[in-house]
Amino acid sequence: MNYLIRRCLISLGLIYVVTTLLFLALHIVPGDPAELLLSGGGVAPAPETVAELRDRLGLNDPLWKQYIDHLVRLAHGDLGTSFQDDHPVVEEVVRRLPRTLELILAAAVLALAIGLPLGALAAVRRGRATDRILSGFASFNLSVPVFVTGTILVLVFAQKLRWVPAGGYTPLATDPLQHLVFLLMPAFAISVGLAAVVFRMARAAVLDTLERDWVRTARAKGLSPRRVVVRHVVRNALTPVVTVLGLHMGSLLGGTVLVEYVFNWPGVSSLLVRAVEQRDYPEVLGVVLVVSFLFILLNLVVDLLYALLDPRVRHA
Amino acid sequence: MTSAFDLAFLRRIGWPLAAVCLILLVAVLAPLLAPHDPIRMDVVNRLGTPNWLHPLGQDEYGRDILSRLVYGARVSLSVALLSATIAACIGIVAGLIGGYFGGVSELLTLRVVDIVLCFPPMLLALLVVTMLGPGMETLTLVLSILFIPGFARVTYGEVLSTKNQEYVEATRALGAGSARILFGAILPNIVGPILVQFSLTVASAIVLESGLSFLGLGVVPPAPSWGLMIRGARGYMEQAPMGLLWPCLALVLTIWSINQLCDSFRDAVDPRSGGSTRGFWTNLRAVLGMSSRAAPSGAVAPEVVLAVEGLKTRIVTPTGVVRAVDDVSFQVRRGETVAVVGESGSGKSMTGLSIMGLLPQPAGRVIGGSVRLATKDGRIVELTDLDEPALRKIRGEQVAMIFQEPMTSLNPVHKVGTQIVEAIQAHRAMDNAAAQARAKALLEHVGIPDPARCLGEFPHQLSGGMRQRAMIAMALSCEPKLLIADEPTTALDVTIQAQILELLRALQREHPGSMSVMFVTHNLGVVAEMADRVLVMYAGQIVEEADVATIFARPRHPYTRGLLDSVPKPSHAADTDASARRRLATIPGTVPNLALDRVGCAFAPRCAMALDACRQGDPPLVDVGGGRRSRCLRWSEL
Amino acid sequence: MRNELDRSAMRRPLGRRHFLAGAAGLALAPNWRTAARARTPGVLTFGLSAYPPSVKPFEFVGAASASVRMQLYRGLLSFDAQGEVRPEVAEEWRRDGDRAYVFKLRANAKFHNGDPVTAADVKSSFEQIVGERSTAFLRTEFAVIERIDEVDARTVKLTLKRPSATFPYLLATVNAPIISAKTPANAQIAIGCGPYTMGEVERGTRMELVPFRDYYKPGRPRLQRLRFVAYPDDNLRLAAVEAGDVDVIEYVPWPAMDQIERSQRLRLDTRDGPFMHLIFNFRQGPFTDARLRQAAAFAVDREAIVRAAFSGRGAVLESIPIPRESPYFIEGNSRFWRRDLARSRALLAEAGHPNGFTASLLSTATYGMHKDTAEVVQQSLREVGIQAELRLPEWGTRIQLGNRGQYEFAVMGSAGDFNDPDALTAWLAPNPVAAYGRSFGYESARMTELLEAGRAELDVARRRAVYDEMEKLAQRDAPMVGLAWRSQGFAAQRYVENFQTMPGFLFSYAALSLEDASVG
Repeated sequence: MNYLIRRCLISLGLIYVVTTLLFLALHIVPGDPAELLLSGGGVAPAPETVAELRDRLGLNDPLWKQYIDHLVRLAHGDLGTSFQDDHPVVEEVVRRLPRTLELILAAAVLALAIGLPLGALAAVRRGRATDRILSGFASFNLSVPVFVTGTILVLVFAQKLRWVPAGGYTPLATDPLQHLVFLLMPAFAISVGLAAVVFRMARAAVLDTLERDWVRTARAKGLSPRRVVVRHVVRNALTPVVTVLGLHMGSLLGGTVLVEYVFNWPGVSSLLVRAVEQRDYPEVLGVVLVVSFLFILLNLVVDLLYALLDPRVRHA
Repeated sequence: MTSAFDLAFLRRIGWPLAAVCLILLVAVLAPLLAPHDPIRMDVVNRLGTPNWLHPLGQDEYGRDILSRLVYGARVSLSVALLSATIAACIGIVAGLIGGYFGGVSELLTLRVVDIVLCFPPMLLALLVVTMLGPGMETLTLVLSILFIPGFARVTYGEVLSTKNQEYVEATRALGAGSARILFGAILPNIVGPILVQFSLTVASAIVLESGLSFLGLGVVPPAPSWGLMIRGARGYMEQAPMGLLWPCLALVLTIWSINQLCDSFRDAVDPRSGGSTRGFWTNLRAVLGMSSRAAPSGAVAPEVVLAVEGLKTRIVTPTGVVRAVDDVSFQVRRGETVAVVGESGSGKSMTGLSIMGLLPQPAGRVIGGSVRLATKDGRIVELTDLDEPALRKIRGEQVAMIFQEPMTSLNPVHKVGTQIVEAIQAHRAMDNAAAQARAKALLEHVGIPDPARCLGEFPHQLSGGMRQRAMIAMALSCEPKLLIADEPTTALDVTIQAQILELLRALQREHPGSMSVMFVTHNLGVVAEMADRVLVMYAGQIVEEADVATIFARPRHPYTRGLLDSVPKPSHAADTDASARRRLATIPGTVPNLALDRVGCAFAPRCAMALDACRQGDPPLVDVGGGRRSRCLRWSEL
Repeated sequence: MRNELDRSAMRRPLGRRHFLAGAAGLALAPNWRTAARARTPGVLTFGLSAYPPSVKPFEFVGAASASVRMQLYRGLLSFDAQGEVRPEVAEEWRRDGDRAYVFKLRANAKFHNGDPVTAADVKSSFEQIVGERSTAFLRTEFAVIERIDEVDARTVKLTLKRPSATFPYLLATVNAPIISAKTPANAQIAIGCGPYTMGEVERGTRMELVPFRDYYKPGRPRLQRLRFVAYPDDNLRLAAVEAGDVDVIEYVPWPAMDQIERSQRLRLDTRDGPFMHLIFNFRQGPFTDARLRQAAAFAVDREAIVRAAFSGRGAVLESIPIPRESPYFIEGNSRFWRRDLARSRALLAEAGHPNGFTASLLSTATYGMHKDTAEVVQQSLREVGIQAELRLPEWGTRIQLGNRGQYEFAVMGSAGDFNDPDALTAWLAPNPVAAYGRSFGYESARMTELLEAGRAELDVARRRAVYDEMEKLAQRDAPMVGLAWRSQGFAAQRYVENFQTMPGFLFSYAALSLEDASVG
C-alpha cells in the first residue's frame, strides 16, 4: 500500500514536470494562435485585429504571468477554455476521451478474440504447418503500419464495396447500430497489429504453460484435450497476455493519432492534433494532462487486473 | 557472446539476415541500381504504366517508381539507423551509469526516462516537428529522443543483474577503474539484449518515419521516402493502385525482415531455446519409422494388474534420439507395491509416463512393446493400442498418477476443490454438489484437518504436505486399480515425507488388494519402507529385479550395490566395521548419454568389475532364481 | 420519375452486396447500411474540408466557417449565381452621389429571436466591425465609412469618406452580416437573420442546422435539416461522398475529378477561381534583385503545375490574377510570363548568376496543393540552374515565417475577396506590416496610387486604363507571380438539386445556395 501511494506521488510529480515542459515548449513552437486563427483560407488578417485577439487571449502578458495563471487555474481543476471558441477544455476532453478509450478497447477485444485462440492453436501445434503459417502471418501483420491498413480498408470497404461508411462517428445514444458500424473499421485497423502482438504473447505463454506440471496432472486425470487447453493452459497463459496487453493500451493511447486521422474518429488524439495545428494552448495542455494521468491510472489498473487473474498475487 | 557468432548461429539467423543485408545493399548502391534520377519529373507521362524504361511505372509527377523505391530505402534506413545509433549510444551510457553507480545518477536517469515515456510518441514527434519544421535532421532527432528510454532501461536492467557477478567482482578486485569495469567487463556481457533492442528500434524507427512522412511531417519532398510515396499515391489509388502497392510492399517487407532477424537473433541469444528444429523433425521422422510391435507373449495371470513387456520409448531431441526406455518388462500384481529405483535419467519416470501415455509431445514415442492392464471390469486392455479418447478413460479411472512437486502439479489459478471435482466429473456423471461432497470426503480421508475450507482454497494457500495430500485425494477420486507415484515425497521435508508415506501405506492397508502402487523413486530408504518388490533401472533398462528384503541383503548387480553403498544405512551406522564407513561413496562416473549408440553393458564404463566381455555385447536380463533377475554377466560373483 | 429509376437501378448492386456481405461472414442486418447512407429526403449532409474553429459573425476564420456563417447570418447584400451583387436583407439599394449608399430593408426580415431587422441593427453591426477592440475582418476596410444614418426604421444611409467602386462588394461578402443589436458581447453565436439556426453541435466533427421558420424568403430553406460534417483528410472526404455518407463535398481532390465525372451517382461542379502564385522577400536574399524574380517567373513550367499538381484541372496564369471574364482583363498583358528559358538565363547572367543560384522555397506540408506546386516549381527552376531548397513546415509555422519575412521566396494559394481587380490590393498594396500571403517588404508609391485611383473610379472604361497600368507595373516589379488558376470543385450526389457553384474568387459562396438546395 505504501508502495502504491509512493508510486502515485511520483506519478503526479511527473505529470507536473511534463505539463510545465509542455507549457514552455508550446510558447517556443513557432506560430501564433491569434494570427493563425484569423488566417483561414490563405487570407491575411489585418495586424491590428491580430493584436486585439492576442490581447483577448491573454497572450500579451509576460510568460511567467501566463504560467502562474495556468497553475492557479489548474489548482481549481480548471483547464481553461479553447482559444478557438471559448469552449471549456475539460468538457471537450471528457466528451472525447471515452471515444478514444472505446476505440482502443474495441481493438483490444478484437485482438484478444483473434490473437488468443490462434496463439493457443499455434502453440499446441508447435512447429507444424499450422504454427508456421500462423506465426509467419502474425509477424507480417506486425510489420504493416496502421496507416497502410487504414488506407486499404477505406479503399476496399467504403469506396469500392460501399459496405461501411468511410469514416466518422455517431454517438451511441443516437443510433447504437450505426455507432458500431462506424467503430468497426478503425477498431479493426488497430487490431490487425495488436492481434499479432497478442498472438505472439499468447503463443509464448501457452508454450510455457504447456510444459508445466499441472498440465500433466490435468491430463493424468483423464480430462479432454480441449478442457486441458482451455482450463489449465489458456486460463493460466491469460495472465501474462492481459498484463502485457494492458501495458500496451497505454502506448496505444498515444498511437491512435494516425487511425483517428485516417478514419475521422473524433477522439482525443484528433482533438490534440487539431489543437497543436491551431496552437490552441489550453486544449493541448488539457489533453496531455488528462492523457498522461490516464496512462498512469491504466498502469495501476493493470496491476490490479493482474492480481485478479493470478490468485497468488492477490493473497500475497 | 563470442561463441555465439559461430557458423550454427549464422545459419539460424540465415535468411532474415540475408534479406536485411540485401536491403542495406540496395540502399548503399542506390545510385548504381536506380535506372533513373528519383526526383526527375516527366509530367507528360505522369502515372505511366510499367514498361521497359520504367519497370514499375511512373508516379503522379512522372518520376520513376523503381528508382524512388531504391532511393527510398536509403532515406528510410539512414534515418532509422542513425537515430537508433544515437539513441543506443546515449541510452547505453545513461543505463550503464545509472545502473552501476546508483544513487543520484540512477534517480536522474530513471526519472528522465519516465518523463520521455509520459509523452505518447506520436505527440512528442508532432511537437518537435512543429517546433523545428520537418526534415531528416528533425526526424532523426525526434526518433533518437523517443528511443533513448528503451536502451537506457534495457541497459539499466542488465547492468543491475550483472554488476555483482564474479567476473565483474574479479575485475574490480584487480583495481580497475569504473570506466574499465563498465566498458570492459559489463558492456561486452550485455551486448545480446542490446543488439535485440537495436534491431527492434530500427524496425519501429522505420514505422515512425514512414508514419510521419505520411502525415507530411517527416522527410521533405522531393527526397523519396516510402511514407511520402504512400502519401502521394494515396490520392491516386483509384487510377493507379499499383503506385500505392509498391511502397507499401517495400515498407512492410523491410520491417518484416528486420522483425524476423530480431526474432531469430533473440532465439539464438536465448540459452533456453535448444538448437535448430530441423534436426528435431528429421529425428522424429526416423523414430516414427522405427515403430515395431511384437505381440505380447502369453496370457496375463489373474493376479497381475499391469504387465509390461519389451517396452521401448524414444525421446526425440534436435541432436539425437534418446533411448529413454529400452526393452523394459515387468509385472505389478494386485495390492502389491513395486518400487522403480534409479538415478535421475535412468528412465524410471519415463516408464511411468509411457504407461499413462503422457510422454512429452511430440518428442516422446513408444516404439515397441506391450502394456497390458487388467481393468476394474475384468478386461485385459492393451494400452499401447489405445487411441487418445480411449486412453483418457483409463487415466484417472484405472490408473492414477501423483507427481514429485505438489506446488507445480496443481494449477495455481484454480481452487483445490475445483481441481478434484474436475477429476471426479471426468469419469463420473455427478452433479457439482455431489462431486463437491465427494471431494470433501476424499480430503478428509487423506487427513486434511478442515476439508471444507481446503476445498475453497488455492494451492498456494496450502503447505507442501497438505498439497501432496490433496494430490493424493485427487488421484484416489475414482478408486484406481493402479497408482503410479512419481517421486511423491522428494520435494518434501523429512517429517512430512514420513507422513505421506504413512498415508499411502494406510490407504493400501484399508482395502487390501484393491490398489496396486508403482512407486518411482531414487530414495532407497523410501524403497525399504514402502516396496514389496524392487526394479532397479539404469540407462533405460531394468538391471535388477528382486523382492525388497533380498535386494537389500544381497544385490545381484554392481549398480544396485553401488546404489546401496551410497546410502548411509541406519543398521550399519552402529557397526564398527571400518569398511562399512569406507563404502559410503558415490558411484564414479556419470549416467551415459542415451542418445549415443553403445555396445555392451551400459554400466560397464563405471563398473569396477567390468570385463572385456561386458563391453562386447549387451548382457541379457537373466533369471537368477527365486523370482530374481539381473543384467550382469558376473552376477554370481557378487 | 427519376427517383423511381434511380431506385430500381440501385436494387441489383444492393443484392450483390448482401451476398458478398454474407459470404464474408459479417453479420450485417439488411438495413444498417441504409442508416449510414446519407440519402434522406429533406436532409442534406455537407462534407467540409475543415471544422469551423468558430462561427462568430465578423471574424474570418476560414472558408469552412464562412460556409456555415452564410447559413446563420446574412448581410445587406450578397452575390447572385453570376457573382454579381444582389440585394439580400436590403430589398433594394442605390448609390446616392459619389460617396453614399441608401439601403431599404425588407419588411419581413426577422432575426432568429423574432425581432424585425431594423436600421438600428445595421448601424450597431457596422459599428461593432470598426469598434475600438474589434477583431473583425473588415475593420480596416470599413474605416472608409464616414457616417451611418438611420433614415427610418427600414432605411439606412451609409456615407463614405471617399468614393469606392468596390464598397458594395465588401457589403456582399460573408464578413459584413447584420446581427441583432441584442446580441451579447463576444457571443460565440450571434443572433442573425439567415435561413438556418444552429442545432445540435458535435464540436470538432459536426454541426446540425435547422431551418429558420421566419426567414424572409418564402418557401426557403427547402431542407428540413442541414448537416455539416468535417472531413479534413482529402481522401476520406472523397471516400465519404463515394460511399454515400455525405451528399455534397467541397474541395474535391483534383486527382479524383475524372472519376467523379464518370460516376453514375455523382455530379462534379468545378470553376476556375482561386490561383497559385509566387511571392518574394524584397528585403533580403537573392530576390531583392528584380531580375532574379523575373528569371524565376520566366523559368517556371506552368503547364506542368496544372498537369501534375492539379491533374490538368486548371489553367496557366502568366500574369497577375485577373480572370478572362473580367471587364478588366487585357489580352495583351495576360501572357507576359510565358515560359522562356532563354530569357530567364539571360536575366540570370545579367544579374551576375549565369550558372544559377541557390534559394530556399517556402511552402507547407499541410495543404497538398501548396506542396505539390512547390515541388514542380523546384523541379522546373532546376533547368535554369536555380536550386530551390524546399521548406515545408506545417501551416501555423508557415504563416509566422511569412509574416516575419523569414523566407526567400514562397508558394501561395489564394483567392480574392470578390471578383474585381481591387481585390488584388491584398497582394499588391504596400502594407506597413507584413502578411504571409504577400511579398515581404514590397513598396511602391505608384502602385498605391493606382490601386486607390482604381477604387475611387466608378467609370468602367477609365478603371480599365488604370488597371492596365497597374498590371504592367506589377509585371515589372513582380511582387506576385501568377502560376496557375486552379479548379475548385464540389461533388454532389445526383439527387441533390439546386446546389450551385459560383464563378471566380467567389467559389466558397456556393454555400449561399444551400437555402435553395433540396434532397428528394
